[in-house]
Amino acid sequence: MKYQSFVGLEIHIQLISETKVFCSCPNNFGDEPNTNICPVCLGYPGALPSLNEEAVFKALKVCKALNCHINEKAVFDRKNYFYPDMPKNYQITQFESPFGVDGYFNLELDDGSFKKIRIHDVHLEEDAGKMIHDGYQSRLDYNRAGTPLLEIVTEPDLVAGRDAELFVQQFRQMVRYLEVTDGNMEEGSLRCDANTSINLPGMGLGTKTEVKNLNSSRFVNKALTYEIKRHGKILDKGGEIIQETRLWDEKTSTSKSMRTKEDSHDYRYFPEPDLPPYRVTAEMMGKVESAMVELPNDRKKRYIKDQNLSVEQAAFITGERETADWFDSLLKLGAESNQSASWLSGDIQKVLNREEVTLEESPFTAERIKELFDLINTKKISNNIGKDLLQAMFKEDKDPSLLVKEKGLEQVSDTGAVEKVVDEVLAAHPAVVDAVRAGEDKQVGFLMGQLMKATGGKVNPQMAREIIMNKIKGSE
Amino acid sequence: MKKYKEYVENWEKKIGSFLQFDPEKAKADSSSEGPLKGIPFGVKDNIAVKGFDMTCGSKILENFNCPYTATAVEKLQNKGAVVVGKMNMDEFGMGSSTDNSALGETNNPWDTSRVAGGSSGGSAAAVAAGLVPFALGSDTGGSVRQPASFCGVYGLKPTYGTVSRYGLTAYASSLETIGICAESTAMTRDVFNIIKGIDVMDNTTVDYKPSGKDDSNTIAVLKVGEGDLSDDVLNSYKVSQQRITDLGYTVTEVELPTLKYVVPAYYVIATAEASANLARFNGIRYGLAEKGAETPSDLMQMSRHSGFGDEVKLRILLGTYVLRSGFQDQYYHRAQKIRTAILNDFNRIFEQADALMLPVFPTGAFHHGSSDLTQLQQKSADLYTCSANLAGLPALAVPSTIEKGLPIGVQFTAPAFEEERLFRISEKLEEVFPVQNPEGYSKEWNK
Repeated sequence: MKYQSFVGLEIHIQLISETKVFCSCPNNFGDEPNTNICPVCLGYPGALPSLNEEAVFKALKVCKALNCHINEKAVFDRKNYFYPDMPKNYQITQFESPFGVDGYFNLELDDGSFKKIRIHDVHLEEDAGKMIHDGYQSRLDYNRAGTPLLEIVTEPDLVAGRDAELFVQQFRQMVRYLEVTDGNMEEGSLRCDANTSINLPGMGLGTKTEVKNLNSSRFVNKALTYEIKRHGKILDKGGEIIQETRLWDEKTSTSKSMRTKEDSHDYRYFPEPDLPPYRVTAEMMGKVESAMVELPNDRKKRYIKDQNLSVEQAAFITGERETADWFDSLLKLGAESNQSASWLSGDIQKVLNREEVTLEESPFTAERIKELFDLINTKKISNNIGKDLLQAMFKEDKDPSLLVKEKGLEQVSDTGAVEKVVDEVLAAHPAVVDAVRAGEDKQVGFLMGQLMKATGGKVNPQMAREIIMNKIKGSE
Repeated sequence: MKKYKEYVENWEKKIGSFLQFDPEKAKADSSSEGPLKGIPFGVKDNIAVKGFDMTCGSKILENFNCPYTATAVEKLQNKGAVVVGKMNMDEFGMGSSTDNSALGETNNPWDTSRVAGGSSGGSAAAVAAGLVPFALGSDTGGSVRQPASFCGVYGLKPTYGTVSRYGLTAYASSLETIGICAESTAMTRDVFNIIKGIDVMDNTTVDYKPSGKDDSNTIAVLKVGEGDLSDDVLNSYKVSQQRITDLGYTVTEVELPTLKYVVPAYYVIATAEASANLARFNGIRYGLAEKGAETPSDLMQMSRHSGFGDEVKLRILLGTYVLRSGFQDQYYHRAQKIRTAILNDFNRIFEQADALMLPVFPTGAFHHGSSDLTQLQQKSADLYTCSANLAGLPALAVPSTIEKGLPIGVQFTAPAFEEERLFRISEKLEEVFPVQNPEGYSKEWNK
């Protein structure tokens, strides 16, 4: 590669909160248009913002998770521009002294190595409403106006589209662990703008362009890869990059100029006089620290190191905090980690996918699964019966031991009883018995199958196999 | 009640202090009990009262019916006081004469060819004429104290953060407070004690923490230079100085070196904040929406173009100018430094004195139009009042004398939260010089 590339991201996340960031209207997605509104979020004359502590708390959680320096005196500023969906025609945001600055995120790259991505700042602001163009009309819905938005700005430490894609994925996973946002990119609760520039090695940053309208981490990758190539072609021809904002068009897989630097707004930032600087107290930080959780990358490392999970298994389990928490409670009950991991990523996940529910919504409690493992491990049921039992547990929402009793699934481990059935099976298939006796051990499988068929799979397979072998070979 | 209405209507033909007058409209929202039971009051038309329109003296809000009530008004209603109407004002509080109202002219009850002052001209004129015993106004740079002085009533600008601004249409948020025009010191105090206090709806409200030293020994008096004041005001100022000396206060003359910088600093900050505060008026959610717009941005431009008056446009442009990136150090940040300097000036004085006496305005009530004072001269004349706004301090305008048939007031300021100290000085002066009434005055509301 002839050029060095630099990528920085601006990520907005919609914070989960009871109420909007500066008023007591509910912060709900998907309600009837213009139902969650009041004089404050509609920008009525005389209405004033009143800061929501829950949003501050969640903002600080993200700052903490991103290893930011927390500004003890966080200041709100007004960002001035006219847009019909923004009720006051200025946005309350943070500019000079946001909640968090100078942080970093340890990004795991595809080869398993880590790269420190510096975080420029984390700031809290209000979202705008929504304008919907409907033929010759424009309609406005202010339900979203004034809902809390957290913006995270990285330094240009990423080098390629794939890096940025990984960053968005891992960042999203982290903020979901923190339970500050649902991180749904399609619905816009996580939005990402990407900045990129290229230059000859050693020349530092080049002229940057910003790409907007990236609704998935894959688009982030595609758009940046496209931009980096586009910049390269221009420079190769001796051209100059124009500093501008571009829109990604997924249909054509190209980016288009939206506005150049000359058309860019002068936002005329100044401190918001309606909100005094917010003092981040030791008490608040104590609350934040006690609410911190083990973050996904740390957890993954722990599972690989302490629980001997494979990289793939660890990645699967830490994908969602819910799964990882569930896995941990299973371990706490004394379950073995590899058995837990393979069931979780295998059969349990299969049932969940088929039934289209999450682990939390399913009747699979850690206690029930531990009970299931115990039944298998003490050979009361076979592994295969265990798998069927899982389906029954889902359907009937019952404990596995109860189902085993109700359905009479307990494995037959009484030697006399097994011998009786074995005798019947051997008598019915003399040719196969001869073949086995002649050394074709593979044919035992057929006999086992017949045995399972005759008993409904309830025979302890190891015991049955031994008895069959003894009966055939021992009688020689 | 009928006689009261007639009394008001008669006066209103001459002075036009109300934009709306309807004693019945919000009566049901007031408690039937309480210390202010049945007392009528007026509310400047930039303060929200549910059911009344809130026009801010502007065409852009001419049709705006207010869906909620300001905290300060609600507190008064809870104590039994009844809103009888909304008072005329300079558009969005921008002016010193009420002539900048787009919706009506207000005359001084002492001489109808003259202005009542502004921007809370309607509030002061109505109190002076006895239409109401008190009215709420707002004071961004002197907008309560100056009209109070012009009309011969008491005018309080409280300490910043003591009275909730929730429901006060913002002009310059960091400077302004809801203020009180009243017929006596006692009424001013009663109203202030009711409306002060922390409000969850206004994060800039603070704990009220006075020092407890309510009586003054020493009063500093601002030295005025030759030509600073009109002859009438200078004469009146000297009378007040003599009175406080006679009342036994130790009087020392002081200077405020920063005073010459306060007007530019004040206008930089006020217009900067105004440029953002007034951005919300765009014809989309409420207020004037011009017909014929083809796009939302057309609608915003057309509505603002025809909805705002010239003075408002001028201040929005000035504010936009001083906030441009690259120019903030020269204007906005510099103004903030002056703001700190004037507070330091005051603090230095309050190390030696309990209160400071200073003029309210260099002249008495002037004639309508620009024949006495041009718009620029009117702005420069804000220096004695706007310094208290820059410093966030309490200040009270007190009637001082009648000069050639026109009332002249004098101003006292004190450290933050020392409103009671100001009331006590004012009360002593009130004993010596009680409030004067214009011809035709009668206390009809009390009958």
